[in-house]
Amino acid sequence: MSADMTRRGLLGNAARGAVLLTLGGGTGFLVRKAHGQVVWQVDVTRCLNSRLGEVTGDGCRLCTSECVVGLSAVRAVNEYSKCGRCSICPAYFDITSAVDEHGLPSEKLCPRDAVTRTPIGKVDPEDPANNYYEYAIDEEKCDGCGRCAMRCKEPLGLGAITLRVRYDRCLNCNKCAISRACPQNAFIQLPIEQALQAQEVKRSGS
Amino acid sequence: MNAGPQGGAGFPACRRNRHAGRPAALALLLALFTSLVLSVSRAPAQAIPYQRQVQTAPQPDTIGGGYKTPEVQRARPRQYWLQVLDVVLLAVAMCVTVWIVLKRRNRKWVVVTAAGSLAYFGFYREGCICPIGSIQNVTVALTDPGYSIPIVVTATFVLPLAVALFFGRAFCGGVCPLGAIQELVVLKPIRTPRRLDRALGLLKYVYLGLAILFAVKPALARDFLICRFDPFVGLFRREGAPHMLMLGGAFLVGGMFIGRPYCRYLCPYGALLSWCSRLAYRGVTVTPDKELDCGLCAGACPYGAIEEMRTVRWDCLYCARCYAFCPRDGQLARAKAPLVRLPGATS
Repeated sequence: MSADMTRRGLLGNAARGAVLLTLGGGTGFLVRKAHGQVVWQVDVTRCLNSRLGEVTGDGCRLCTSECVVGLSAVRAVNEYSKCGRCSICPAYFDITSAVDEHGLPSEKLCPRDAVTRTPIGKVDPEDPANNYYEYAIDEEKCDGCGRCAMRCKEPLGLGAITLRVRYDRCLNCNKCAISRACPQNAFIQLPIEQALQAQEVKRSGS
Repeated sequence: MNAGPQGGAGFPACRRNRHAGRPAALALLLALFTSLVLSVSRAPAQAIPYQRQVQTAPQPDTIGGGYKTPEVQRARPRQYWLQVLDVVLLAVAMCVTVWIVLKRRNRKWVVVTAAGSLAYFGFYREGCICPIGSIQNVTVALTDPGYSIPIVVTATFVLPLAVALFFGRAFCGGVCPLGAIQELVVLKPIRTPRRLDRALGLLKYVYLGLAILFAVKPALARDFLICRFDPFVGLFRREGAPHMLMLGGAFLVGGMFIGRPYCRYLCPYGALLSWCSRLAYRGVTVTPDKELDCGLCAGACPYGAIEEMRTVRWDCLYCARCYAFCPRDGQLARAKAPLVRLPGATS
């Protein structure tokens, strides 16, 4: 009886040891291979909303509809250092709308009223058309429809506004639902450091 | 899906692709006429011809007035130390569960631990990251040389298996949010016939096989099934596809009468855990040295994990109900007025 018990114990120990070794070996392999965290990001050189030469009527809007998070994790982001700070911004105003009494287009472009327009620098109240303006996009309101990004790209704007993934909402799904749907394969996985850097939109001819 | 060029009103580029020809010329004439009429009737309400105002972006020194360029994007990914904290909490929660179940033999505190895990790993972390889904990531990382996973994911996958190898499925009982949400709804479990139980239990191996099959495919055809068809993750996130939310609801309603259906019949990680827990050095035991053959523990187990008065380690989900129902163990024995006072029972 006791000999049998020890034999069972020994076999059990051997099996457990073998499984532990396998687990350990696998872990070692994976750890050696591991790199830092990878996140999803929009490749603006491919995204229809920011790629040059694409004229898309109302935008692609798949980033808004496909994300598994209720209010999409994709947001329009204004890369301030590239922004022209124009007084009439084609991404803020609906430039096809009628001109109001101040000489500005009467309607705003954003359907969710997420963009704000603030005069910056040395503000001259007498000459509003000559001031610089900062266009900030409220990340809480924006749903990533991409309309503003589409208008901001050249030749109308400087291409400062692009769609970007907002990381506190992105769940970093294994296979992002937007990436499945994206017709341009513009959703790519990048190491964090790279994804947080400003992306350069490919200018035609350069 | 607006892949093709469609004319956006007011776009300079929208004039290309116009066919020359008689109908087009007619249309052009008509349009000219209409626009003429319109411009005469509402001349002040016309859109401005838009011209880009600047060719290069002005920088802070041009703008002046002490302007500083604000940070572009405030939302950052979750900090690395918080991800490590998740793994640490996972390990701590498993140790606590093992201690409560094997040493304290107490159901109440297991339920508290499970509820805490449900709140943190489920509703706060929104069911991600979890070892169940990580099966596929680990498989891909092992087979695809161009794919790798962060150390945190590897740890999340390996730790519960290592614990199962020594103590059984403590992860299922006290940590897994999917298990906990089902554990809390068990209302009036019926005993599933053993044959049916066994047959349905094979489903999880099929699911595991499918998950691995879809993970070893080339990158484009790869599909992360487990995460996509996780029935409870929609409930954790309080949003999701309606059919998945309904499936989750169905699992919970079914789970009132059939104990933890996802864990027992579908969970692919449960398959791995049950293999590991076969080798467990120590698991849940139904007091073999002082048992009464009363079978209350077997009757109390909603998961059919007590057979012939012995715990089936690979099926035991660490819920500790058997202790709570044992007249010689657990809460009944410690209660001030036990339901049955037995000769020799320590009260």
